[in-house]
Amino acid sequence: MADTATPAKARVLVVDDSSLVRLYYRSALEKAGFQVEQAINGIEAMEKVLSEPFDLVIVDVNMPRMDGFSFLRTLRSADADAATVPALMISTESETQDAAEAKAAGANFYLVKPVAEAELVRHVCVLTGASL
Amino acid sequence: MEDSNGGASHAVHISPEEVQRFCEFLYRRTGISFTEGKRYFIDRRLEDRIAATMSPSFQAYFSLLRADADHEIEHLINSFTVNETYFYREDHQLRCMTSSLLEVIASQKKPGGTVRIWSIPCSTGEEPYSIALWLMENWPQVDSYNVEIVGSDIDTRALRAAAEGIYGDRALMRLSRDLIGRYFRPMADGSHQIDEGLRNSIEFTRANLIDAKDMALYRDFDIIFCRNVLIYFDDVSRRQAAENLYDCLRPGGYICLGHSESMSRISPLFRVARFPDAIVYQRPEADHG
Amino acid sequence: MPLVRAGKSPAGDGDSAPHRAALDSPDAESRWMAVRALSGNVDAVPALAAALGREPVPRVREAIMTALIGIGNAASVEAILPDLRSDDAGLRAAAVEALQTMPEAVAPFMAPLLSDSDSDVRLLATELVRNMDASEATRLLCGLIEREQHPNVCAAAIDVLTEVGTPQALPALEKCAARFAATPFLSFAISVAIARISGAEG
Repeated sequence: MADTATPAKARVLVVDDSSLVRLYYRSALEKAGFQVEQAINGIEAMEKVLSEPFDLVIVDVNMPRMDGFSFLRTLRSADADAATVPALMISTESETQDAAEAKAAGANFYLVKPVAEAELVRHVCVLTGASL
Repeated sequence: MEDSNGGASHAVHISPEEVQRFCEFLYRRTGISFTEGKRYFIDRRLEDRIAATMSPSFQAYFSLLRADADHEIEHLINSFTVNETYFYREDHQLRCMTSSLLEVIASQKKPGGTVRIWSIPCSTGEEPYSIALWLMENWPQVDSYNVEIVGSDIDTRALRAAAEGIYGDRALMRLSRDLIGRYFRPMADGSHQIDEGLRNSIEFTRANLIDAKDMALYRDFDIIFCRNVLIYFDDVSRRQAAENLYDCLRPGGYICLGHSESMSRISPLFRVARFPDAIVYQRPEADHG
Repeated sequence: MPLVRAGKSPAGDGDSAPHRAALDSPDAESRWMAVRALSGNVDAVPALAAALGREPVPRVREAIMTALIGIGNAASVEAILPDLRSDDAGLRAAAVEALQTMPEAVAPFMAPLLSDSDSDVRLLATELVRNMDASEATRLLCGLIEREQHPNVCAAAIDVLTEVGTPQALPALEKCAARFAATPFLSFAISVAIARISGAEG
């Protein structure tokens, strides 16, 4: 109660191979009080997720060397605490097929690009239990 | 540095947007990133490289960099990182080897079984000798297994030096005086030569990571140290080297990269393996569909 | 008729017939070794292309692409292009990555790819431009964004322009900004691209 510093609401890992997407999400989430790290593909994401605690991973589908689905499957089958971290999958696809595949791979939620700042922050708050 | 343009010789101005462009390119290509506080450091290094390549502008330099003309990426990365070799460099990976990797590996071997470790590139031998020293000093079971250490490099001059095993103070700076006293003998000029027993225990060979024929002679390694070389390779060479290294590892074998390197920029063939002391990579035990 | 040599050689030596036959093996390791043995073998492109079309194991697919990249001709590009249309995200990404390493061989294919009727293909094709000469890349991507209606395709093109775009891109970017003023991410992306390009002195 006496705490005067505002700790980050939660730690979020943004995984997307587009530097513009990472920049956009990071600035939106940092403004909203989240602490944000980044990765460029599923392999780097695995390295980060296994090294530091995160409250949410936001992962794109189309990435080089390890795509979003492969990353989620690898994450969920890892023998580590990180295996159960909530995951928000973001894709360019709008067909129901991809949402189902996302769930099957282990995503907790699925959004379609382009995602606007307000929409992103709202979903991240819900998924991390942070207040808006 | 001489200015070839004559006339006004001053450092090329680099705008914040250009630094951004550069940082994003570097991060995408190598995984190396810089915090805000390191901005000055980057500006200095960029200015150095622009001058060294005699580029008239940042844009000209950036085009050169993107095309990796004259191995500019290698020169650039070298300007950012300290790339000297010495004993017990990046010792957290050596610690990972004895604290974590060997436990897994040994559990799959019979007593007296062979454990094969490869240092490639081994340069002038600091790395393979470090592996041997570290094992003797830190692995209680070192005598229970037949440990084979191979050190390979493309540079035969370096290999000759490695076989000779003579080092100056800088190379030995991380070793305690006790360790040096026990495993090295002093030479007249103040350098030290590593014991003959250790020199004979490492097999030094010439090998080229990208040459599948060379690499076909190496199989069944439990651990490969391939540090600070893949980051300099172009995209095609990285793929070829990764595939070659895959074949050189036993299924389940481990590969350690350099501190600024990540398989995320090199190859999808290996799985990420996180241990308390280090992130290393593992050849999967079996294929998945 | 060339002598048939027994055993496997790791790189492009001798008669490739046994290796080509092994591309059909039910065993993934045999297929992997066969692919690697065909590395650098120009005549093997059709066999490698066919193998790529049916290979289910990711590491063997990677090796086939590496072998094709090593050859790096138009036939290699044609062998990999169909995978841009795959339903498998991993295969699509692997195809983009492979094609990106062959900017010269891919160049003749860029115009049709960037005007493909499938927006996903156009999107992936923008990545292929990244390793090309800056002026050429700018020309190709401006051509795309001038007529592109799909926001994600534009976003992908803008991402590449942020890295390689020359000042020639500015007019097309301004027009794009007007077209997508109601899409927050795109407005953001375009403003960054414009700032990045304008801030970079020519």
